[in-house]
Amino acid sequence: MKRKDFVLHLIGEIAHYVLDADPMRMVISLHQEKDGLHLAVIDSVPREEEELESIRRSLNNAPRPEMAEYYGSMAGYDSLGSARLNLIGWQVKGADVTSTSNGTKIDLWLGGDRFDPESFSISDRTNKEA
Amino acid sequence: MDPKDRRLYLLLVCILVAIATVGMIAPGTEDASIGATLSAIARLQIRPARLVNDFTRAESPGAALVNAALVAGIGLVLVRLNGVRLAGPTVAAVFTLFGFGLFGKTPLNFVPIIIGVSIAARIAGKQFKEYILIAMFGSALGPLVSLIAFEIGLPPALSVPVGLLGGVAVGVVLPAIAFVMLRLHQGYSLYNIGLTTGFLALFAAAIVFGRGGQLPGGAVWNSEPTLLLILLVPAVSLALIGAGLLQNAQAALRGFVSITSIPGRLPSDFMDMVSVPAALVNMGVMGLLMWGYVIVVGADLNGPVLGGIFTIVGFAAFGKQPRNVLPVIVGVAAAALLFGHELSAPGVILAALFGTTLAPLAGEFGFAIGAVAGFLHLLIVLRSGAWHAGIGLYNNGLAGGLTATLLVATIEWYRANRQERRAARAGSYAASADGADDEE
Repeated sequence: MKRKDFVLHLIGEIAHYVLDADPMRMVISLHQEKDGLHLAVIDSVPREEEELESIRRSLNNAPRPEMAEYYGSMAGYDSLGSARLNLIGWQVKGADVTSTSNGTKIDLWLGGDRFDPESFSISDRTNKEA
Repeated sequence: MDPKDRRLYLLLVCILVAIATVGMIAPGTEDASIGATLSAIARLQIRPARLVNDFTRAESPGAALVNAALVAGIGLVLVRLNGVRLAGPTVAAVFTLFGFGLFGKTPLNFVPIIIGVSIAARIAGKQFKEYILIAMFGSALGPLVSLIAFEIGLPPALSVPVGLLGGVAVGVVLPAIAFVMLRLHQGYSLYNIGLTTGFLALFAAAIVFGRGGQLPGGAVWNSEPTLLLILLVPAVSLALIGAGLLQNAQAALRGFVSITSIPGRLPSDFMDMVSVPAALVNMGVMGLLMWGYVIVVGADLNGPVLGGIFTIVGFAAFGKQPRNVLPVIVGVAAAALLFGHELSAPGVILAALFGTTLAPLAGEFGFAIGAVAGFLHLLIVLRSGAWHAGIGLYNNGLAGGLTATLLVATIEWYRANRQERRAARAGSYAASADGADDEE
């Protein structure tokens, strides 16, 4: 799958999840580098810690290569039923889920072994802005 | 290896070795020697494998059990060698391989497809483990290898190489089709590779029979199963329940109860979502329930029926639970009774068992939709086998995939339009957007 298609499917699935909560605002930010990319999704829905933890668990599940490539290909194609974050979790390197002053921010980190999330600053900035 | 994974491997290896040993020493034929069983296993490799060829009758129950254990064992070794976690999907694949090893899959017709999928992985620049599920389930096209190699009358020097190449060729194209099929039904049919292999089998049959003519169906169905076959499911089911309860009985039972509220849409790995012991209990309970159903309707516990039950046992770690399979079986039974089929008839009992591929529809949308799915499934599956001349072993997967696609598309269309209509009534932005479109 081309990188563009891959990113589109991830955005589709994560946006599906966020839109299920009917937010007034949703911002999707993408920062690409050679070895990886950072996708941040910010919405205006405050969530309980329990739900945040559940999102974290789904997005940071153990590597399952047999699931990621095959079943992960359904990400972004779900038009019936609820969004499934585990489809994303199998395909990303890691995810941070934080509560902002008036909503939630989900950071997805993708990349190869040389990928260094430290080179991205958007996470800190958006936290401050929020 | 994680101790939990090690225990699960040990359990599956013990089950397969026990079955193979019993198959070797109790073949259930007049000539009950180990040598006779080995000869029978060798003959199974070169006999036709298209639907429905019950190996328990074509050769002997013992030979069929050893063949099935061999096929499942190869699957288990593949999982281990590739460092893939033994969990819901891989356990489902191993049990499915075992089940179909009783009526169609053999090591000889299964391995070329695995090689084909591994070539596809290489072409796509992926690791084989990323395609391992497609490879394991994709062995449903094994009968194509047997058909070309031993049935259509090619010169002997040519037939086996061409058959093996045919298996490799379908293996190469399997992944590409599997991804597309998955999106058609959006994970509401558990046997996605059934839809994929059925679709490919349509083309394979058209090519093989391109010069016209068809081979006779020649169904082989064991209507006098031995006690060994009758008691196999309860024995394995009780072993699974025992293994689950042994680890922590209370937690396993609590987990089992929570599994019964999971809709089961692909991919629902119960071993990951709940726990391994709870999934083992669910597997055992499902085995006993399905075995009870077969006994109650008076169907034969032969190779294909046992194949159906063992496939359900495997998928009870990956999407099936008592509450989501019941509506589908009710739907199949209702259709059978309405159209004058006996519940124990071969096509009907297989549809009731394998039709549970549609369980996620019941789990997600309720009893009525599940029953409608089962009803439609029976009607379509009784016809679909002829479309591909029985080359695709997962004929119910093909019919189930088509049924799920029909229902998912209809439900999706209905829900989307109902939502839009409601929004229009409420005067929301959706209505204004429609209005704007109209003006343009």
